[in-house]
Amino acid sequence: MAISFKQIEEKLKTEAKRLLKAGTVSVVLAYGKGYDENHPMPYVAKNASDVENIVFNEFCTYNMARYLVRYPRGTKIAIAVKAADSRAVIQLVHEEKVFREDLVVMGIPVYGMKNSKTGEEIDSRTTCGLYNPVLYDMLLGEEVHGQPVVSPYDVLAPYEAMDKDERFAFWKKEFDRCIRCYACRKACPMCYCDPCFIDQNKPKWGDKSPQSSGNLMYHLTRFHHLAGRCVDCGECSRACPVNIPLYLFHKKVARECQEMFGQSAGMSIQDKPVLVNFRVDDSDKILE
Amino acid sequence: MSRIGVFVCHCGLNIAKTIRVSELAAFAAMLPDVVVAKDYKFMCSTPGQEMIANDIKEHKLDRVIVTACSPLMHEQTFRKVLAASGLNQYLLTIVNIREQVSWVTHDIEEGTAKAKALLNGAVYRARLLSPLTSRVIDVSPDVMVVGGGIAGIQAALELANTGKKVYLVEKNSTIGGHMAQFDKTFPTLDCSACILTPKMDAVLQHKNITLMTSCEVSEVKGFVGNFDITVRQKARYVDHSKCNACLACTEKCPGKGVSEWDEGLVKRKAIYIPFPQAVPQKPVIDKESCTFFKKGKCRLCEKTCEHKAIDFEQQDTFIPVKVGAVILATGYDLMDTSELIQYGYGKYPGVYNALEVERLFNSAGPTGGKVTLRDGKEPQAIAIFHCIGSRDKNHYEHCSRVCCMYSLKFAHLFKEKTSADVYQFYIDMRAAGKGYEEFYNRIIGEDVKFIRGKGARVAKSAEEPGRLIVEAEDTITGKFIKLPVDMVVLSPAMIPRADARDVARLFNLSTDKQGFFMERHPKLAPLSTMSEGIFIAGVCQSPKDIPDTVAQAYGAAAEALTIVEKDKMELEATTAMVNPASCCGCQNCVRVCPYGAPSFNAEKRVSEINEALCKGCGLCASVCPASAIIARHFTNDQILAEMEGLMEF
Amino acid sequence: MSFEPKILGIACNWCTYTGADLAGTTRLQYPQNLRVVRVMCSSRINPSFIFRAFQLGADGVLVGGCHPGDCHYNTGNLYARRRLAVTKKILEFSGMEPGRFRVEWISASEGNRFAEVVTEFTEQIKKLGPQTKFKISQ
Repeated sequence: MAISFKQIEEKLKTEAKRLLKAGTVSVVLAYGKGYDENHPMPYVAKNASDVENIVFNEFCTYNMARYLVRYPRGTKIAIAVKAADSRAVIQLVHEEKVFREDLVVMGIPVYGMKNSKTGEEIDSRTTCGLYNPVLYDMLLGEEVHGQPVVSPYDVLAPYEAMDKDERFAFWKKEFDRCIRCYACRKACPMCYCDPCFIDQNKPKWGDKSPQSSGNLMYHLTRFHHLAGRCVDCGECSRACPVNIPLYLFHKKVARECQEMFGQSAGMSIQDKPVLVNFRVDDSDKILE
Repeated sequence: MSRIGVFVCHCGLNIAKTIRVSELAAFAAMLPDVVVAKDYKFMCSTPGQEMIANDIKEHKLDRVIVTACSPLMHEQTFRKVLAASGLNQYLLTIVNIREQVSWVTHDIEEGTAKAKALLNGAVYRARLLSPLTSRVIDVSPDVMVVGGGIAGIQAALELANTGKKVYLVEKNSTIGGHMAQFDKTFPTLDCSACILTPKMDAVLQHKNITLMTSCEVSEVKGFVGNFDITVRQKARYVDHSKCNACLACTEKCPGKGVSEWDEGLVKRKAIYIPFPQAVPQKPVIDKESCTFFKKGKCRLCEKTCEHKAIDFEQQDTFIPVKVGAVILATGYDLMDTSELIQYGYGKYPGVYNALEVERLFNSAGPTGGKVTLRDGKEPQAIAIFHCIGSRDKNHYEHCSRVCCMYSLKFAHLFKEKTSADVYQFYIDMRAAGKGYEEFYNRIIGEDVKFIRGKGARVAKSAEEPGRLIVEAEDTITGKFIKLPVDMVVLSPAMIPRADARDVARLFNLSTDKQGFFMERHPKLAPLSTMSEGIFIAGVCQSPKDIPDTVAQAYGAAAEALTIVEKDKMELEATTAMVNPASCCGCQNCVRVCPYGAPSFNAEKRVSEINEALCKGCGLCASVCPASAIIARHFTNDQILAEMEGLMEF
Repeated sequence: MSFEPKILGIACNWCTYTGADLAGTTRLQYPQNLRVVRVMCSSRINPSFIFRAFQLGADGVLVGGCHPGDCHYNTGNLYARRRLAVTKKILEFSGMEPGRFRVEWISASEGNRFAEVVTEFTEQIKKLGPQTKFKISQ
């Protein structure tokens, strides 16, 4: 069944208008027109008249959950989410950065999203591979059924098969290209630390200028800080101006966390985040 | 810029044999910020310590590095030297070149090289050390004991005798606990009330004990040395200050409730005293069975009372109490065996549990001490079942420890008071205490029949109406037994009280799988808990008999004294603190701390650490993504600097 | 001259460090390539310490803590176990040789075991050779 982006857009606008008019929410996090049709932007509607600027099409890849923490606690917010974005909402609720009762989650079941930089179709290779939001108060379209279910970790196979020296050379090349613009951090809903560890001076974890050792420390530590928290939305990689495939490393860590601790980020409202949790019977094998 | 003094110890030949100590000192002297570097035969000796003290003054040192044996050996010794010289004791670093270098290698080159690397690391770290002061806080001298059974009573008396003020908080309207319900106690068969009631009276009379009955703890705030506890005094509807315990009010009361004291075997009035030796000896009104509270009529007790002590307007009140330490001695319950339907408890009138049988034996009990069944008849044959619910994977895995002994006691008393045949159905006989094995042997000689096989089922006898049939396998002979009896006594599992989890939550304790309070260490700290200042004693920690309970009560009293005997306490200095400017409010620290030291300030949206609770483990610092937590004396930059120094050469 | 690795050890005060001292009082012998940082609990270890250690030129990193369940601070090492497991996976995926980072639970009474582990680990690192991938060259 084909996705009608136009229908979703209409429903999104209708709901946004209704919620704002009724005063149920004071802010709607959605998407708006950018400099052209193929380059939409994140958009915040604050009153009913803003709603006409809302769009939804296959290039609306942004994870709007990144903006949730920027509002004072208690702000009533409606947010448009796709599958991975809804997982980010759940994860933020776990971490008590936002309260569930302050949110109206507008779920968008969808497939066929496209990378606005490259035009490439986005699937489980660069994102979590789910089609339907995991959390929602309403759905803006019909649930997707019948689309191929591909593991989001299949894309790791060639990298895991690489010899370690080859793999190191691959990552060194990638990290050396990093210009430390921190777009990855800005795009990620889970990176809400301000100041970030790398911005600190006491201690100075890494050099602040783009060079090998500081880049390595920044990225490896960031992967660690996101372990069990990254929802595999892929936005960090799409935001990167030099196209570093960060999603590969995040997927690897997510898969290890799933195997070692039996949990995936943002899938269930009950879980405790993996690294602030333990089971007495966690196996010592995980350290081998 | 620091002024570092490095002192290298020879430790006789212990270090000097494998490490070129003078070369080490010379190496140190070349390092930036090191203004004096010496070596000496025995640093920990008086001249050695004096050398350090003199050099601190002469060279105006602000950091001291002692390169010698393990810090676990002499860190405290050298800290005192610094303190005596006016230098903060946390500006000391010890480099271990004995236990971890000179004693574990014969190679002088390797040993000296490693010692240099370790020393370099220490110098890097020493530059970044900060003076730390431990805060000194006032300690509240009083102690609260929660639970007025034998454990709570003994602990309270012991503490009160040292001059400390004790608040003894008891849920029921009388103290005494389960022990007051017993008839005789094993292995000496002395009368329980006879040994207990003098203690209960001593509690009442003691000027240092404030007895709070019909009370429950409703809120616990504060921390060790300074607990702010709110105690809820439940309405008793009797004014204790006016009541003289004449009990005239109880005579005409029409209300009927079920006697908890007599384990439900008889009814009692709505206004009642649980048992004749209750302490305090004042009646209490049970709202659920009182005619006035239910229907709005009656008030006979009020009319009868000459001292106008009845007060139906009484409300629950909340009493704030400040104490320095708390002992929890909240005891146990017996498992409700009605869920084990194969035994027919609650279904067949002839099936009893252990506490009910205690009440039957007790001369103040519902049958005046006679062993008669619910229909008034005397039993001709009695079966005692061990391990009902205990040692059972489907219910409670633990052994309840006392049932073998009280089953033997019951057998003896049954033989004494009736002419019945007595059968013991057991899995093992556990008689480990002092005098227990001897008691067991005595009972064997009293014509009690022992069958090694757990009681499997109790059924109604088809042939003899009114009688029961017990079924079991005699595992020694391998035969199945079907025995007609009149009475079955079950030994139910000893389990934590129904509200144990709530009490644990109030005091921030963990409970084990069964629900008993978790001790700090099962062997070396059985009476303390992970919540500093909260101690446990008695069966609330795990099933045990009276001698062990009393021993624990005394032990807990001693533990509590270690907190309250000083009027000031020094808090741990190497605690953690949150830099609010960097905190991102993720609450990771709040989630992981074993001591509950961090808490989230919802207004400021940052976490804060209560330094009185912090033990300095550093877990919070490593889960903090923003590096906002400063783990004093083990900060991120101190550790990174040490690593840099260690890897430099 | 044969390769003498520089190995960073991070030991928890109550268990591993005490166990290491016991190895000393027992006069057990082991290679002297290990340089130990003492922390109060293995839970103090920030994963970035491990990355930094390799950047500083450590050829191997050995972390020692109490056996899970025996932590002096009750649950510290249970969190450390999970965290260091993730650190290991990240190091491996980045291409660092898996054998260079090791976590061992060594109690205060296991002096023998401490000496054994250090000897074994040092051998392993010698075989792996100098660590060059993360090391910052001056």
